[in-house]
Order: sequence, then structure tokens, then C-alpha cells
Amino acid sequence: MADRKRKRPVKADSDSEEASSSKGALAFKKRLKPDEQILNSITELRAAQKEKPQSLSLSDLNLGIACREVVDLESTSVRLAIEHTILSIAASILAGNGFSYQVPSRNNSNQLYVPELDRIVLKDKSSSRQFVNLSTVRKATITTRILQLVHQLSIKQIHVTKRDLFYTDVKLFQDQSQSDSILDDVSCMLGCTRSSLNVVASEKGVVVGRLIFSDNGDRIDCTRMGVGGKAIPPNIDRVSDMESDAHFILLVEKDAAFMRLAEDRFYNRFPCVIVTAKGQPDVATRLFLKKMKVELKLPVLALVDSDPYGLKILSVYMCGSKNMSYDSSNLTTPDIKWLGIRPTDLDKYKIPEQCRLPMTEQDVKTGKDLLEEEFVKKNPGWVEELGIMVKSRQKAEIQALSSFGFQYLSEVYLPLKIQQKDWL
Amino acid sequence: MESNGSPELQKSSKKRKGTSSQNPKSSVLKQKSPAEFFAENKNIAGFDNPGKSLYTTVRELVENSLDSAESISELPWIEITIEEISKTKFNAMIGLIDRERVDEELYDDFETVKAREKRLAKEARDQEIQAKNIAHGKKIKETSKSTKSRGDASFFRVTCKDNGKGMPHEDIPNMFGRVLSGTKYGLKQTRGKFGLGAKMALIWSKMSTGLPIEILSSMRGQNYVSFCRLDIDIHRNIPHVHIHEKRENKEEWHGAEIQVIIEGNWTTYRSKILHYMRQMAVITPYAQFLFKLISDMADKNVTIHFARRTDVMPPVPVETKHHPSAVDLLLIKRLIAETSKQNLLQFLQHEFVNIRKSYAERLIGEMGSDFSPKMAVKSLSSQQVVRIHQLFRQAKFADPSGDCLSPAGEYNLRLGIIKELHPDMVATYAGSPQVFEGHPFLIEAGVSLGGKDVKQGLNIFRFANRIPLLFEQGADVVTRTAAKINWSCYKINQSQDKIGVFVSIVSTKIPFKGTGKEYIGADINEIVSAVKTSIQQCCIQLKTKIVKKLQARERLERKRNLTRYIPDASRAIYGVMKEIAKSRDSKQRQYNEKEEEILNKVSCREITEPIIKEKLTHYVEQVDYEMALEYAAQSGVSEEPREDIYISALEGAPKFLDLHHPVCVFRLFL
Repeated sequence: MADRKRKRPVKADSDSEEASSSKGALAFKKRLKPDEQILNSITELRAAQKEKPQSLSLSDLNLGIACREVVDLESTSVRLAIEHTILSIAASILAGNGFSYQVPSRNNSNQLYVPELDRIVLKDKSSSRQFVNLSTVRKATITTRILQLVHQLSIKQIHVTKRDLFYTDVKLFQDQSQSDSILDDVSCMLGCTRSSLNVVASEKGVVVGRLIFSDNGDRIDCTRMGVGGKAIPPNIDRVSDMESDAHFILLVEKDAAFMRLAEDRFYNRFPCVIVTAKGQPDVATRLFLKKMKVELKLPVLALVDSDPYGLKILSVYMCGSKNMSYDSSNLTTPDIKWLGIRPTDLDKYKIPEQCRLPMTEQDVKTGKDLLEEEFVKKNPGWVEELGIMVKSRQKAEIQALSSFGFQYLSEVYLPLKIQQKDWL
Repeated sequence: MESNGSPELQKSSKKRKGTSSQNPKSSVLKQKSPAEFFAENKNIAGFDNPGKSLYTTVRELVENSLDSAESISELPWIEITIEEISKTKFNAMIGLIDRERVDEELYDDFETVKAREKRLAKEARDQEIQAKNIAHGKKIKETSKSTKSRGDASFFRVTCKDNGKGMPHEDIPNMFGRVLSGTKYGLKQTRGKFGLGAKMALIWSKMSTGLPIEILSSMRGQNYVSFCRLDIDIHRNIPHVHIHEKRENKEEWHGAEIQVIIEGNWTTYRSKILHYMRQMAVITPYAQFLFKLISDMADKNVTIHFARRTDVMPPVPVETKHHPSAVDLLLIKRLIAETSKQNLLQFLQHEFVNIRKSYAERLIGEMGSDFSPKMAVKSLSSQQVVRIHQLFRQAKFADPSGDCLSPAGEYNLRLGIIKELHPDMVATYAGSPQVFEGHPFLIEAGVSLGGKDVKQGLNIFRFANRIPLLFEQGADVVTRTAAKINWSCYKINQSQDKIGVFVSIVSTKIPFKGTGKEYIGADINEIVSAVKTSIQQCCIQLKTKIVKKLQARERLERKRNLTRYIPDASRAIYGVMKEIAKSRDSKQRQYNEKEEEILNKVSCREITEPIIKEKLTHYVEQVDYEMALEYAAQSGVSEEPREDIYISALEGAPKFLDLHHPVCVFRLFL
């Protein structure tokens, strides 16, 4: 609430002071206070967040509906779980009854958003995957094959990528999306996280800034990673001993903005850790962010595009995706602050018309659908922003700020936003 | 070909110049006969180029013949012959001596030395490639087509013989030698409209070959055959008769035979003409067509017989009166001039459809005080006519009924499709009459799947007033609508399946777009929605059939599809078990008794991969058998409805032999 009160006078000044946009950009710069004062606002946020009680777990709530959650399991437990499954279907076959799996359903109707936890969880509906059914025979066979492959991994205690897994039996899997989807089914069925199956996705996320951690025993200093940053290890087990003198974590949607901030050494001016997953976040990046947030207890600020997809990506970090909802407790990072670029910023920062794009029908529809989602509704600030976006039918990317100069983002926009505590 | 007509034109205009004006530069007021107009704008009637002219000639003659036979309710029997005439033969016909070229360089197709070298080199190369292909045992395509040079026109004698009504002896010259005179005017559903067809062929023959048209005709019960050879005086739009005589009618034949010699192009329009004949056979399955192409080269000859498939003919379309909302000012004036009715009330009541007496009285009351029911209709002033026209535009009238339409009939359309395409599946639908701008129209549609000579994807067959439309397909309402239909809804794969879409529109006035009557625009909402519903109705019918077929196929393939996965599954299961058996630690009790038992059997090879495979196979077979039984119990022994077959009637009184049996009699025709 305090933020919103502050917002109004700012808007009023900006209207009176600036006439043209180029002048405006300069005027915004003038308004910046010394860096120490700017950082103070972050420190306040950090202090406020520390006071908050620890987040609840599913078992703390007495939900009427049974929910399914998975846990990290040791390789041996995974191995045993697979062995019991296989032996039981073998017994069924030998008894002349064919075989079938009970696979938890991961479709839309089986998802539930729990407002208390602020994330999506999986209900416990499951479906039978029979071998003697034309519609499921393929999936049942692939499931069996994946079980065998994961069994081998658990015995040998090695990690492979999803792509590796796919290539072990291309003829049967046909398409990587099929083996990937069954892999999620298997982890859901065995009740363990996907990382416990020793199958990882290839590296996607990047991190740079005031962070030091051990990757498989090697000490990594993320301030000495050049402009490209350190790739986030696909296997979170390798990451340990995190240390940092950062004041906050900055989550960036896009690679381009990440590169700008890294090259400008934004993290040296304002001590922070910068993370991006280059679009939709993968499991490793989400796990990494969660780990940083839990171990370093830093506030997370997000910088995404001002379009429905930016918000959607933010929601995946915060509440989890429907596809991976069974593991949402490990994957979601609650309490991420939406720093920018927000629809109100378009006018507030006088982003010129030529940098704004009209929203397509599809965009507007996605925006309207988002307005119906629970995780948006519970945050009135978000509803307001999204409402403005859908109403104005305009979107803008982070790069729109480059119209005031390429470094405007790191030198003016972000510091000013932080100084004004302009996050939601 | 414009140049052919122009010398004569110039001559005539010069004559007029001399008399009417002294100043050669001032524009001269000229008058044109209808024949002249069409000679100059022959593309309006579909005579754009020699190829299309040949096509249009065939088409006009066939349609005239069909109309003629249908008008006397005779099952049509039409013979079309196209005979190619070489230049030498043609010159001989017109009495021109073939001349050898003396000055070779004068001609357009003269080959310079350089060009010849180039050509010879290319031919040598082609031969080399061919020789190589032969050596490799490849099939060679006939590539060595004699490319005709531009100056070499081909000429064709087009003959069309039918068993129609024939023409009265005296009327023949006027029927062919006067453009825009015809029997098809009036408000009814007709194939032709302008009375142009045969006349345009004549004008074209005069323009391209200068040869007259020959007509043989006999009417029912006439003991003679009329023979007429005539051409047309284009400037005066009157026939120019060479011979007009009566001949002996030996075979009691009735009908007409028309022969015209024109310039044409068979190579480029071959497929169009054949498509036309085939589609015509689809929409008129009660007609018999014999199509022949005769040329000097025997391998080019074509003979196609489109057999009769039914003897049910659609009724002859009846002439109807105008609908009040479809008339214009001029038409009202004409109707007033032509009417036999005396007063306004009778005029309204009898010259239009859907105006009953009481309604006519109400209308007259509404027209104003200077109108009365008893006033003489011929005395109406032009202002008063305008008032009537305005009222017709605004007043509400019941829609015209479709009684005056003569659709091909759903049954005939279906037979036609089956006869010519032999599809795997076909569904047809006949809509109810609807109205566009006061003209009733009716849409029938058919959708077929599979069949011979059908390409993958959408094959559109369009018919307007029971004539196939072949040109300008892309812009047509049927094509546009069919492309918008979501075929996958009906389990039809738009890109893979061979889909035939047949839409026949009949109306007293087809709203064609453009000058050539080639397509109907997609901007008329009434027609678009009617076409869409008709096609969708067909699809719904097809869907049930397709689903049934898919189910049956699924039943057949279930076992195969399940069995296919047995090796993969059993290998994986056995693989895991073998691994466990190998690596298990007997001290740790990680497995329960049952599991231990299985693992022990795996260790001592009592359970092997083939055993698991066998067990699974057995189970699949068992389940498949049970499901098959269930399917049979559910679906019963019902089969698809059978198609009636048509056996054409025998002509004359053949000999037969009766085989008697207490239950029935077999009649065996010898």
C-alpha cells in the first residue's frame, strides 16, 4: 500500500516537468539519489521478508482434497521402487492377466491452485495404463522401457540428459516429447522428483553476479564469469555451499537484457545476483532460484516483458507449471516482486509509441485468461496492471527502454524503480 | 482473329462516311448489329482463343441437344464427333491450292542457321540422355512431340447429333442465322440464356474458316429430313442460306445434327473438353453420350462412351411468372405492354406470382388515390409505373416457390457420381428452395471419398442449372465454401483423402459473376450459407459411415497393433528382472516372498524373455477375441444399405426363354 501512495506524486511531477521524451529520460536520471540510499530500500524489503514466517507445506494445511506430492529420493530407493513395480507387473503377466500401470493424471482437471501455499498442486486422480488397450498400449510400453532405463541409471549412479534417454531407443520413442512426457509420468508414479531419476535437462539458465558456490566440488565465483555468466548446472545436487554478499536477486526474462546488465556490471554497482532462463524457465533454473532464495534469504525482483507471456513466465517461477505441479513444492519460489516492465510504466516512463506493439487477438485472449487465474486475482496490484494492459491493447518488451539509450535500463530505469520501491 | 472481321467493317464504315460526313476526322456515328457486336467481343460468349472456342462450341452444341431432347421427354442420346482437318485437307475443301514456300525467310517460323545449330545440338543431347535411360532400363516418356509452329492453325469439324425435338423446316435459317433470337427467353430455368450458343459457333466458323454450317433436322412424325447449309450476314444479322431442302427420312429419326468447321486447338483444351463431358455425364446420368475424336494420327484418337445409368429424368422446367420483388421498371413496362389483362387488379393478380386478389387490392389501396382496381392497365402513366415499382420494392411478398425449378435430383446426382467416379463412399443432399432477389434457387450437393481419376485433396465439381462450370474455379462460391469447411470434424483428412465435392445450383436466374458465365461469386450470403449447409449435411452422413469403417478397421488391426509392442515390453521387463536377480543381496530382505520366488525362477532360467512374451501374446489374443465377440454382439449383422442397380431396357422384342418354377419364372433373353 505504501508503494501505491508514493506512486501518485511521482506521476504528477513527471507530467508537469517533462515535455519531450528525451528530456524526460534525462529528468528521470536527475531524480536518482546516491546508490547507498537506493540500496536502503532493498534492505528494508529484505528485513520485511525475513520477519515473515516460514512457508507452509501441504501437510500443514487440512485440505479436503487429497493431493500428490513428490520428494527427493535416494538412488537406492528409486531402484527399489522400480524393482517392486516391475516385479508386480511380471507377476501379473505370469498369472496370465497382462499388465497395467496406475499413472497419476497430469491433465488440467487434476490441477489445483492452493492460495495458502500460493502454488499449483496435483490432485490424486490417476488413470490406468493398460497394455491391452489400443489407446494406451504405446504409453504402457514406453513406460516399461523408461523404467528399465532409469533402473540402469540408478544402479550405475550416473546422470544422463533427457536427450540421451531419448536416443537410447529412438525407434520406440519416435519423438523426444513422448519420452519426456512419460519420464514425468514415471517420476510422478514413483513419487520422486525428476532429478531423483538421474535424468536432467540440458543447461539453459545462466547466472551472474555476487554469488559463489560449489559445482561438483569446484568453487565458482559468478563475478568472474565474464559477460555470458555461468550456466546453471542441470543437476541441482551438484550445487552446494552458496555464499553471497548480494542484497537481492534480479530475475530477467530475456537473454538480451541479461547481457546488458552483465556487461554494465550492474551487480557491482548494486550488489545482486542476476538470473535468466532465456524465456520459459526450465526445472534446473527454478530449482536453483529456489535454493538461492532459501539459503541466502534474498528478496527476488523480476524484470519481464510487459505482455501476458511475461506475466505467465513470472507465474511459473512463483506458482509452478501445470506440467510439473507434482513437484511444485521444490520448484516454486514464492514472493517474487514484479519490478517491471509493467503496463503502467509505459506511460510513466514515457516510452515512445513506436516502441510499443499492438497486442494480437491471441495476446488479448491470453491476458483475459490470466485475469481469471487465481494467482493473479489474489494480488490486486497485478489485476490492475493486467487490466490496463488488456484495455490499452499495448505491449512492450524490455528492449523498448533502449529507445532512451542502450544503457538506460541499467543506469536509470532499474535504479529508479528500486529507489521508488516500485514493485508489486 | 479481330483482323478477320475488320476489313469488311472498314469497308462498310467508309461507305457510310461518304454519305453522312464530309470531314473524315470527326467521329462517325456507327451502328452495330448484334452479330457484329458479338463477333468483336466474342470472349463474352467464351470464344477467347481457338482452344476455348473449340471447347465452347462443343459445350453449346451438347447443351442445345440436351435441352431439345428433354423438352420432348426423350432420354437424350448425343453423339459428339470432333474431326481434325489438316491444313492440306482444309485448303482442298475451300478450293485453295497448297503452295510451297518460296521465300523461306518471309515466314515467322523460319529457322536461321544459328537456331538450327542450337536445335540440332539440343536434339543430339536429348538422344544421348534417352540412350542412357534405355541403357539403365528406365521407362522413356514420349518427348519427341512435333511442336507446331504458330502459323499452323488446326481446323476441326465438330458434329453433334441428338435425338431431340428437331426444328421446324421453315424456322431453321432464323434459328441459326440471327443472333439474339431464341426460344429460351422467358422466366424459367434453362441451360442457355442468351440464344447465342450455336450462333456464336457459326460466327466463329465464319471468322476462322469462312465455311458455312450444315444442319440436318427432323421432327417427330415428319417423313422428311430438313437439310440446310447456311452462314450468317454479320452486318445485317440475318441468315444467308446456301441450300435449304427436304430430304428423305429413312430411319424415322428425329432430332438434329449440326456440323460446323472451326479453327481450334485440341492439345491445350483436351482435358477441359473431356472434363466437361465427364461432369456432364455426372449431372445427367439419364443421358447417353458418345464422344469421338478423329485425327490423322491414330494414337491421338479418342472414343469415350458415357453410358446411361438411369431412366429417371428431371421434369421439364416450367415457365413461371415474375416475382414482384425481382422486377425492374423496364420489365413492368414490358409486362404492361404484353399483357392481355384489362384492368390493374387482374394485371397484378395474373402477371406476378404470390399476389392473390385480396393482396392485389391492398396493394392498389396503398398506391394512392389516383389508382383504382378497375383502371385500365395500359393507361398507366410512367409516374404511376414508378410508384408500382417502388411499392414492389418495399412491400412484403411471400417467397417464390421452387416449383418452377428442375433440379437434377438427389438420386440422379448420386447415380452420376457413382457412375463416373466409382467412389468408396458417397453422400448426397438436396436442400429446399430458397430465394435470392426474388429468384428461387435450390442447391443439391454430394460429397464423395476415393474413386478413380480423383486427386488427393478437394476436387470441386460445380454445376449451374445442370451445366458443369469449369473455369474461374478459385473465385467460385463452392470452392471458397468447401475450403472453409472443417473437414477434420467429419473424420476426413483434407490433404490426404480424395474428396469430391459436387454442388449443383438451379435457379431461374443464376447470379453469375463476370461476363463469361463461369462462376458464382462468394459474396451472396444466401447462397454461401445454403452451399455450406448442403455440404455439411453430406459430411454428417459420411461421418457415420467413416466412423463405422474406422471401428471395423480398428477391430481388425487391434491385435496387430497390440502384438507389435509385445517384444519391447517383455524385453524391458525381463531386462530389469535379470538385473535384479544378478545384483541382489540375499542378506538384505528387500523383496517379499512372492518377489523372491519370481527372482529365483529368473536366476535358474525358469522365467525367460520368451516365456513373458508368450504369456503376453496369449493374453492379447484372449482379449482380442472377447472384444471381437462384443463388437459383433453390439453391431449385429446390419450392413450398409444396398444400392439399386440399373439394367437398361432392351430395345425391340428379343427372343427369350422362360424357365418355370413353382415359385418364380426366369426369363432368359437370348
